[in-house]
Amino acid sequence: MPGNRTRRSCVTAVVLALCAVLSGCSGGTESGGSGGKVVLRYTWWGNPDRAARTEEAIGLFEKKYPGIEVQSSFSGYDTYKQKLATQAAGGDAPDVMQLDYRMIDQYASGGVLYDLGRQKSVLRTDQIDAGLLATGALDGRQYAVPQGRGTETVVYDAEQWKATGVPLPSGAWTWSEWADAMRALAEKTGAPAATDPGQSEDAFEVWLRGQGKDLYTKDGELGFSADDLTRWWTFTDRLRRDGVVSPAEQTTQLDGTVENTPLGRGKAIVDINWDAPASGFVSLVGEGVTLAPMPSGEDGTPGQYFKPSMFMGIAANTGHPEEAARLIDFMLNDPGAARVLGATRSMPVNETLREEIAPDLKDFDKVINDYHATVEGKLNDPPQAPPSGDSALQTTFQRDYDQVSYERMSPREAAENYITEAKAELRS
Amino acid sequence: MTTTEVPTAAPPKRVAVPGRPARRRREGAAWVFLSPWVLGACVLTLLPMAVSLYLSFTDYDLFNPPSWVGLRNYTQMFTEDPRYWRSVVATLTYVVIAVPLQLALALAVALALKSMRRGRAFYRSAFYAPSLLGASMSIALVWRAIFNDGGTVDNLFGTGGWVNKPGWALFAVALLTVWQFGAPMVIFLAGLLQIPGELYEAAAVDGASRWRQFAHITIPMLSPVLFFNLVLQTIQAFQVFTPAFAVSAGKGGPADSTLFYTLYLYDRGFVASHMGYASAMAWVLLIVIGAVTAVLFRTSRSWVFYASEGDR
Repeated sequence: MPGNRTRRSCVTAVVLALCAVLSGCSGGTESGGSGGKVVLRYTWWGNPDRAARTEEAIGLFEKKYPGIEVQSSFSGYDTYKQKLATQAAGGDAPDVMQLDYRMIDQYASGGVLYDLGRQKSVLRTDQIDAGLLATGALDGRQYAVPQGRGTETVVYDAEQWKATGVPLPSGAWTWSEWADAMRALAEKTGAPAATDPGQSEDAFEVWLRGQGKDLYTKDGELGFSADDLTRWWTFTDRLRRDGVVSPAEQTTQLDGTVENTPLGRGKAIVDINWDAPASGFVSLVGEGVTLAPMPSGEDGTPGQYFKPSMFMGIAANTGHPEEAARLIDFMLNDPGAARVLGATRSMPVNETLREEIAPDLKDFDKVINDYHATVEGKLNDPPQAPPSGDSALQTTFQRDYDQVSYERMSPREAAENYITEAKAELRS
Repeated sequence: MTTTEVPTAAPPKRVAVPGRPARRRREGAAWVFLSPWVLGACVLTLLPMAVSLYLSFTDYDLFNPPSWVGLRNYTQMFTEDPRYWRSVVATLTYVVIAVPLQLALALAVALALKSMRRGRAFYRSAFYAPSLLGASMSIALVWRAIFNDGGTVDNLFGTGGWVNKPGWALFAVALLTVWQFGAPMVIFLAGLLQIPGELYEAAAVDGASRWRQFAHITIPMLSPVLFFNLVLQTIQAFQVFTPAFAVSAGKGGPADSTLFYTLYLYDRGFVASHMGYASAMAWVLLIVIGAVTAVLFRTSRSWVFYASEGDR
């Protein structure tokens, strides 16, 4: 009998454990209330620093609205993109989600996003620049609100750079000046100096714009030829072969997180990245992290631009659009939240708040703000929103460059491959 | 998963009663007992298959209604998509490497276990354990950590990060599969224990060496089991997904070297939102697996020996 009893309690325990697992699984998908509370799922991409600050801001929100509970989760950009696509396809997009400029067209036209105009009374946008706000609209409907403007940057560790004796970058430079500097650094240290920019569609776009061209035409077709891409990849491939930029084994590990960049892993001094996420380098590399402008075309034409970034949107099938809108409003317009968030998603879009917090910015927030000030007014207008295939093409670009950096294809072959794939992608 | 849960209730007692209670009623009872499985098969397998066949002729982005494009997905796959062919090559390479290695290891371990007098049950469970763990994402992630640069293998042997070398990444994934040899091993062991001991005794009396015994008794007697394992593992290898997904961090890299067919299918369907194209890929895979299995069955006539045939 005693044996029997232990067996029965064992079975009970197992069944209970299974129930717990099952309810744990289903808990995430139901945004219904737990204990009378409205539960919102909120997801974003970013680095641990952004996560800590976002959690703090969410804490303030939950204190202000005790009836709402926010379940948040974050990951690196590549993982986030994949996960969100799968969730959206399954009709299970989170109530509130962070979106990239590249995603708006795809998700808005696919009916995934809620028309924010319906929550106008809750979600205030009057403090946001009209032109910037319009980047989250499609066919006259506001589907998402940008949380900031980002621009690309050459981020480097000034301490290691100084130790080499190579002169520090001073203001504007061209791509060949950048390459010469990297070459000098690599000669001094005997190791690759920078991340290979060949894998990055973003970096290619800056280079392309420096030559007066664009990634996409107004009709959403490719704005460049295989010749352009061949020249870019030949340029980066030569740097890689000469040991100036990261080898293929390191380049292939890039996944949108700062931790997996050569700079973040302590294997290089220089990276090309977006300004706001560059804050993640501080905890990895140290206080020497500095931002320089992106290289320009040889005639000085700037390629980088202020890109509306890190939009917030609501799932069309959310059960709580009003509460979701309240969360977005809080993240954009609450002074307390703005102070906590600082420039972790770039400077606030709420103009009053931006002026209010600017003087008190410290550490890397100040670095980002100063960097914006140095390039402000010198850049060309941003391109129009990329077509919906672009998000997938970004990954294709990276994969095709793998073929070049692992020396399985010539830059010309890989570029022609990319053009073929891009045309098929954009046609559908 | 639910389809396999056939109710284990006792069979109806009536069936045992001899006499007229016609076949028809018994068939009816059979259908009643089969119904959970039949229902599951229809709703969870046949219906989705029919839908995916339809979708394979459409352009479907998961959000907007599918639009008919005829054979375009198929022609694009074969003529316009270089990455598709890389995924085919990667998958075939993987099947050719992983399946024989796994079966050889499973057979070797089964032979070793067969000759054990004590503790066989323990070791059988111990060797089976990786197969239970292996289906999980976590093991695959650990695998990536072990074979990454700065990982255990790199530190011990200075090999560099296998998962970042195109030639080696596929091998690292195959190694994970080979390590999960538990299922074929258990089947081999059962097969080995069924071979009559007299055969070996007779051979020993005739002075046959152990190698000759293995080649001329074990292998022929085991060939039906070998064939079963070969077919099963080949089919599974064509559909491998989890290890490649985790080991390559979801990208099938480096340089598409671990971009297995199913991984690319997932990428097309869920990441790039071309569900029509992904469906077409799935159907091509089904046909290829069917063809490969048919070829295996055909060749089996010449090398698989069924003991019962000898009685004829």
